Amino acid sequence: MKRTGWIIAALSCFALGAAASSGSWAQDKFPVKPVKIVVPYGPGGATDIVTRIVAEQMRQSLGQSFVVENKPGAFGIVAIQEMTNARPDGYTLMVGNVSTNAITPVIVPKRLKVNYARDVVPVTNLIDIPAFLVVATNNFAVKDVPGLIAYAKKNPGKLRYGTVGAASYPHYDMAFFAKRAGNLDVVPIHNKQGASGIINDMVTGDVQVAFLNVASTAAQIRAGKLRPIAVVSPTRLPDHPDVPTMKEVGFGDVGTIAWNAMFAPAATPRPVLEALHRAAVAALETGAGKTALTKQGFIIAPSKSLDDARTWLANEIKAWKTITSAVKIETE
Amino acid sequence: MEHFLANLGTGFAVALTPANLGFALTGALIGTLIGVLPGIGPIATIAMLLPLTFHLEPVSGLIMLAGIFYGAQYGGSTSAILVNLPGETSSVVTCIDGHQMARNGRAGAALATAALASFFAGTVATAMIAMLAPPLALVGQSFGAPEYFALMLLGLIAAVVLAHGSVVKAIAMIVLGLLLGLVGTDGQTAAQRFTFDFVKLSDGIEFSVLAIGVFGVGEIIANLTRGGQSRSLLAKRITRLMPTRDEISLAWPAALRGTALGALLGVLPGGGATLSSFGAYVMEKKVARDPSRFGKGAIEGVAGPEAANNAGAQTSFIPMLTLGLPGNAVMALMIGAMMIHGIQPGPQVMTERPTLFWGMVASMWIGNLMLLVINLPLIGIWVQLLKVPYRFLYLAVLLFCAIGVYTISNSTFAVILAAMFGVLGYIFVRLDCEPAPMILGFVLGPLMEDNLRRAMRISGGDPMIFVNRPIALGLLIAAAILLVIVALPSIRSGRERAFQEG
Repeated sequence: MKRTGWIIAALSCFALGAAASSGSWAQDKFPVKPVKIVVPYGPGGATDIVTRIVAEQMRQSLGQSFVVENKPGAFGIVAIQEMTNARPDGYTLMVGNVSTNAITPVIVPKRLKVNYARDVVPVTNLIDIPAFLVVATNNFAVKDVPGLIAYAKKNPGKLRYGTVGAASYPHYDMAFFAKRAGNLDVVPIHNKQGASGIINDMVTGDVQVAFLNVASTAAQIRAGKLRPIAVVSPTRLPDHPDVPTMKEVGFGDVGTIAWNAMFAPAATPRPVLEALHRAAVAALETGAGKTALTKQGFIIAPSKSLDDARTWLANEIKAWKTITSAVKIETE
Repeated sequence: MEHFLANLGTGFAVALTPANLGFALTGALIGTLIGVLPGIGPIATIAMLLPLTFHLEPVSGLIMLAGIFYGAQYGGSTSAILVNLPGETSSVVTCIDGHQMARNGRAGAALATAALASFFAGTVATAMIAMLAPPLALVGQSFGAPEYFALMLLGLIAAVVLAHGSVVKAIAMIVLGLLLGLVGTDGQTAAQRFTFDFVKLSDGIEFSVLAIGVFGVGEIIANLTRGGQSRSLLAKRITRLMPTRDEISLAWPAALRGTALGALLGVLPGGGATLSSFGAYVMEKKVARDPSRFGKGAIEGVAGPEAANNAGAQTSFIPMLTLGLPGNAVMALMIGAMMIHGIQPGPQVMTERPTLFWGMVASMWIGNLMLLVINLPLIGIWVQLLKVPYRFLYLAVLLFCAIGVYTISNSTFAVILAAMFGVLGYIFVRLDCEPAPMILGFVLGPLMEDNLRRAMRISGGDPMIFVNRPIALGLLIAAAILLVIVALPSIRSGRERAFQEG
């Protein structure tokens, strides 16, 4: 029996030592165990793919797994609550997009069981997705933005635009554009199948105009089925030097540059947030991660610092408050 | 023709390199595995493996991902036949007669028929991609909201034929399916419908949750209540593993018809692929000399739909490869896999990257051949599985159901929901109600509603849009004719029994 006692004593000493050392590690070294990143969409969408690319790079640089967990549902509410309910220790993060992390908190704050501004902080923006204002070429002769406005004024209720659903950002964008261009009477056509569904509607000629991200329109623009008439981006795109920016055509505040950004619970310790910020930015700027993202048409857009990320998110929320109060879309 | 053979030669030269053969085999194996497991589908698997393909040659990566996609079509029929578990929409109808065949001791024949019919369909559909991709792609592009609505209506009326019991019950089940399909956020107004303030219901009910609950769990409860000897899945002794000569002579024309229907509908994005296997089943029941055999283990009810879903899976590559338009989530991921390598999918892929295009087409055929070689010897092993005492087997099936349902959205809520649908499924068994028409109503209802409302918005509220567009009008006329055919026996005799032949 004496021997068992020895073994227990030895084991407990060992366990104590291990516990002590892991405690001190946790203070100055992060992460010491796998990190979970919650994604508000199912696998396979743009947000999921960006997250998986970034997670793989962070795993290589920080030496711990970054596990992507898909928690789709309710415009991101399920995922946001999943993250804010977790311990704020940096081991549960979220990667969301403009819909889930800027529009949802503005349009349905009541359905979120958390105070978004108080409980969620951005770690860094990751990527931007520039968009085109495109028009159909099937039985539609408009070639520029002034032409589009003139057509809409001459044909009230006849110009149809594509969106991915009621109160989605393409819906707000075009409704806001119509308002700013002189209260145009235009009709939204919602297509749940996303960009490919809208493009199909434009090729058949059922829909004439839409805001669509640049990457998903490329094939049809080359084939002459779609015509870009403006780009939502601070500068013209190198591949499309003839397409003016929205600002150049007089609508600098219209159109969404969709983004993906990383978020954490607000109570996460500052050093941990700093470490995550550095690792995420490095993941975007290193070889494999950068190549994989830019090839898909994403623009690498890391925040300069944690404070820079906070200012950026505050501005996004403010802009969406402006748009959603200018254009009323019933959502309940 | 010479040009075509030269192109195929280029393709096989790419696909037959040892590395690419290895990738096709890996994809086919992974696909078979996830197809057999309920709930875990090709979309999630491909999304997780996508980052791995960054380091591969583009064509190798695509060959592997494509293998997973059509491998899952083969695997899905296995669990449908053995334990009445449809993992994907396409295997729902395989449950009806495939599982009955297993109960009659013909599991081996059903599995072999499914594999052979799928292989045949895969071969024909691959040849179609090679020869007819560009003109077929145009068919897809002529479908707008009114055409889709008309097609879905045709499908829904055809769903009545799915049932082998009373027509009234079948219609009730379709309507129940439509109602379940309403749950969630209305895409046109963002209003919440039937969500009862559950945030997790706001995206609607997941297909797999409903199908696994009603078919899989419901079946288990029903088996357990039967008690005693009949609890064993093997009501009769397993006879021979391969189909008999009579079965083959019934199955091959069915596979032929299923292939034609599947290849055509597969080109349409959205509901096209789903409709193909349902449509093939309905067609078989209509052309059969003795429709009463259906639902009791008719081999045509396995061969037709299995050929249709595999043909549809292959031809769904057409809009993606030729136009750069993804018809479903898997195709969207394939586009992602191409773009990572700087390839912009679209009409120019065929001319600018012939080795990629033809290599992929050739590998699809090789992958289908591999799947046949993998699946035929496996049949013996699968059938042995049925010899496991039911008290162990049902626990394992239930466990896989729970894991599968949980992984769809990492949510325990989904598991509870599937359990509730399991009870509902048992009630259906007791009431003699067929769940298949309900599933079709559930899948088609939201699509139909969405397309109807979109069509009406496009026309500014004028219903003439359905008459002015020739394809929509043609489909609506076909739907009206089908409705008359379904209703006619009852008009003539006025007896409930007459319905049953419908």
